[in-house]
Amino acid sequence: MKYLKHFRRNINKWSIFTVVLVLLIGIPIITIFLKIFLGPGESWLHIIENVLLDYTLNSIFLIFGCTVITVLFGVSSAWIVSRYTIPFQKQLEWMLILPLAIPSYITAYAYAGFFDYGGTLELMLKAIGIIGVKFNITNIFGLIFILGVSLFPYVYVSARSVFLYQSARLIEASKMLGVGEQKTFFKIVLPIARPGIVGGLLLVLMEVLNDYGAAQYYGVSTFTTGIFRSWFALEEPATAIYLSAILLIVVFAIIGIERWQRGSKNYAIANKSDIELSKIEVSKKRRFVLFLIVCIPVISGFLLPLFQLVYWSVLTASNVVSIAFFKIAFQSFGVAFLTAFLTVFLALLILYFPKWNRLQWLRKSSRIAILGYAIPGAIIAIGVMIPTLQFDKWMISFFKNNFEIAIGLIINGTIIVLIYAYIIRFLAVAFNPIEAAQSKIGKTLIESSNLLGRTNLITFVKIDFPLLKTALLSAFILVFVDVMKELPLTLILKPYNINTLAVKAYEYASDELIMEAALPSLCIILTGVLPIILLNKLILNGNKK
Amino acid sequence: MKKMYFILLAVLVFGACKNDKGNGIEGPVLVKKMQEINVYTHRHYPADQELFANFEKQTGIKVNVVNAKADELMQKMTKEGAQCPADVLITVDAGRLVRAKDKGLLQSVVSPVLEVNIPSNLRDEDNQWFALTKRARVIAYAKDRVSPQQLSTYEDLAASKWNKKILVRSSGNIYNQSLLASIIANDGEDDARIWARNIVGNMSRSPQGNDRDQVKAIVAGEGDIAIVNTYYIGKLLNSSNPEEVKAGNGVGLFFPNQENRGTHINISGAGVAKYAPNKANAIKFIEYLSGVEAQEVFAKANYEYPVNSAVEPSDLLKSWGDFKADSLLLSTLGNNNKKAVLVFDEVGWK
Repeated sequence: MKYLKHFRRNINKWSIFTVVLVLLIGIPIITIFLKIFLGPGESWLHIIENVLLDYTLNSIFLIFGCTVITVLFGVSSAWIVSRYTIPFQKQLEWMLILPLAIPSYITAYAYAGFFDYGGTLELMLKAIGIIGVKFNITNIFGLIFILGVSLFPYVYVSARSVFLYQSARLIEASKMLGVGEQKTFFKIVLPIARPGIVGGLLLVLMEVLNDYGAAQYYGVSTFTTGIFRSWFALEEPATAIYLSAILLIVVFAIIGIERWQRGSKNYAIANKSDIELSKIEVSKKRRFVLFLIVCIPVISGFLLPLFQLVYWSVLTASNVVSIAFFKIAFQSFGVAFLTAFLTVFLALLILYFPKWNRLQWLRKSSRIAILGYAIPGAIIAIGVMIPTLQFDKWMISFFKNNFEIAIGLIINGTIIVLIYAYIIRFLAVAFNPIEAAQSKIGKTLIESSNLLGRTNLITFVKIDFPLLKTALLSAFILVFVDVMKELPLTLILKPYNINTLAVKAYEYASDELIMEAALPSLCIILTGVLPIILLNKLILNGNKK
Repeated sequence: MKKMYFILLAVLVFGACKNDKGNGIEGPVLVKKMQEINVYTHRHYPADQELFANFEKQTGIKVNVVNAKADELMQKMTKEGAQCPADVLITVDAGRLVRAKDKGLLQSVVSPVLEVNIPSNLRDEDNQWFALTKRARVIAYAKDRVSPQQLSTYEDLAASKWNKKILVRSSGNIYNQSLLASIIANDGEDDARIWARNIVGNMSRSPQGNDRDQVKAIVAGEGDIAIVNTYYIGKLLNSSNPEEVKAGNGVGLFFPNQENRGTHINISGAGVAKYAPNKANAIKFIEYLSGVEAQEVFAKANYEYPVNSAVEPSDLLKSWGDFKADSLLLSTLGNNNKKAVLVFDEVGWK
């Protein structure tokens, strides 16, 4: 009774909006979770006996290998560009983010082509008289390397912003106390940066677990290839969903372990230092060595695959370029733009509605926003399709019963369902940077505004929004680039006569026309590169303010 | 006011609350007045697009295309049920067409034109699907290391003389699944399992890449023979990359099982969707694809064997010679498909 009273007293319109929003985002995810209780398909035992161990070991090995590579490349390059002066510093700073513009399955194709029989490497070696040297890259080690070099920027970006803007005072203090550079790094800088690095690493791991194209081409059976196999080859969606549920549990376990291990230690000294960190002076020779170290991930994650793709594009341009191709590029761009806009908008709502509502149990509901990123795209597609079809069927019978009008599917097979699914999948991508920026605003400003009698909405427009602008733009760019690259979900939900560059590249590749896939891939990369350079500027300026 | 919110929330939480699917975006509304046909297709070749455009020009019927993997298209059709807007489903692999029929996604059609154009063993006995093109799954061998006399049957590939010499792609690929399905049908499941296990033992490397990559691996010396589709050899020989052409020229083609049941063939084909809104147009469309004009395009541009006997294969295909094809009822491939996948898992064929 007492609880009910509390409930009545504290409920407000934001509680209603929150519930509506949570349902909107949650229904596809809940649909998938409900499927789990229906049990797996009949081949489940067969899977446990024959392939589950293989899937598990490979996935664990991938996670482990990619963690090592991304942390190694990400942290070392972040440290070097933020602490030392090296040649081409400014250019390298943003080039280190560019691997994110290439979908990892495309990087995988490019590498396979580079090291292939008659591939670029062989041709180059032949030109200088070396014959018979061959590297086999299409195996699990190659896959780890490729996923590592294409995903390390997640770690780099988060580590760099901590190095640059949060550790300056501590490093100064440590130096004044006579502690050496190396010890300062391991004892002070790294522990402070850990939450940031782990945050980036989590994004890496989710991408690794979501990868299908690269693993399949390199012949490595992982959980995700297993999901596709049980779904399509064995015709058992239930088994596929069961497998992805296990995958989800693993992802949450990883997040849980990190939280638990970090414990109550709160390293998040979120306040930006107002002092600029002075760079370390080193000899010319060392500077050059550091330069080379930073070049390794840039070359292997971006320049080399780019070079391969450009080469292929030149060979095949005449077969690929057409008016239809420009139309596809334009459509891709439009869909990604619209989706990014809506996703950022929804991320804002899911961040603020629960805050403005006064029911305690609804406050944490914004956490739901991050779930979608952990679920493979193909599974999200099913989660979206089941309830939206139900909705369409209701509408059809509603119109039939009340107006005797026969209508077709209203939202299925249209761009609405596609964008809805994108939003579920990428909400976390938009939500995380906005939430991080919001938490830095601090309560005092907002409480003062409330005390002055401003409503939540006006406070948001006058105070939060101007302060969040940079984060909103970053979120927009991240979602935009992700949508441009998205494949499995798009394949299933894309409407008639709309095509995306990623789908086009995939079509070529699945028809074994990998070279022809290069040009659409290049377009995806180019549309990603400019926003990413912009994003880099935003991060730098935003933190300098 | 508070009370109202309370009631509203209660309704939302406990009541039926699924009316919030739309997210306020206006999708493009399909114009329904025009004559049109919706095609779900797994094939996405430039030649196909050219044919679709020609059909549009000749009949004035607009062709709307959804391209995706066949398995995904079929899942989509199942989920969409009676509301499915698809008129025609086009896929590669007979197994999939059978699967589509078994799931009730297709319907029987009566068309004298199709009955003339397509031989009876290349269409469904209930006329639910029709083959449009054929491909053969053959053995490619290194010309310098293997003589065709050493080759005979698929079964022979399991012999120990091929230890560490065989290249083949992963079992996730439908062509391998259909091949094993045909071996299950011909030799029985137990023998097929032993065969698959021995092939795994004879592989020169773990399965990776696509059919083209297997051929390139032969030329690179990673193995001596590969199980590949004729169609991809054609693609390789006409590649825009000179190195790939060289790889295509480095191998010979052998049609196995000529002394007994014939070489395993597969098809790409089409069927009219169960709930096709434009059934008449759909039939017209498939008839067009089986006609001489379209079959010639398939044969020339795509290195596939035409199914219409009035059309000759391309010169390249003719240069590989005539062959005897396995006359196994194609629906058997579909019925054995799942068994094949399970066997692959059991013997560790990745």
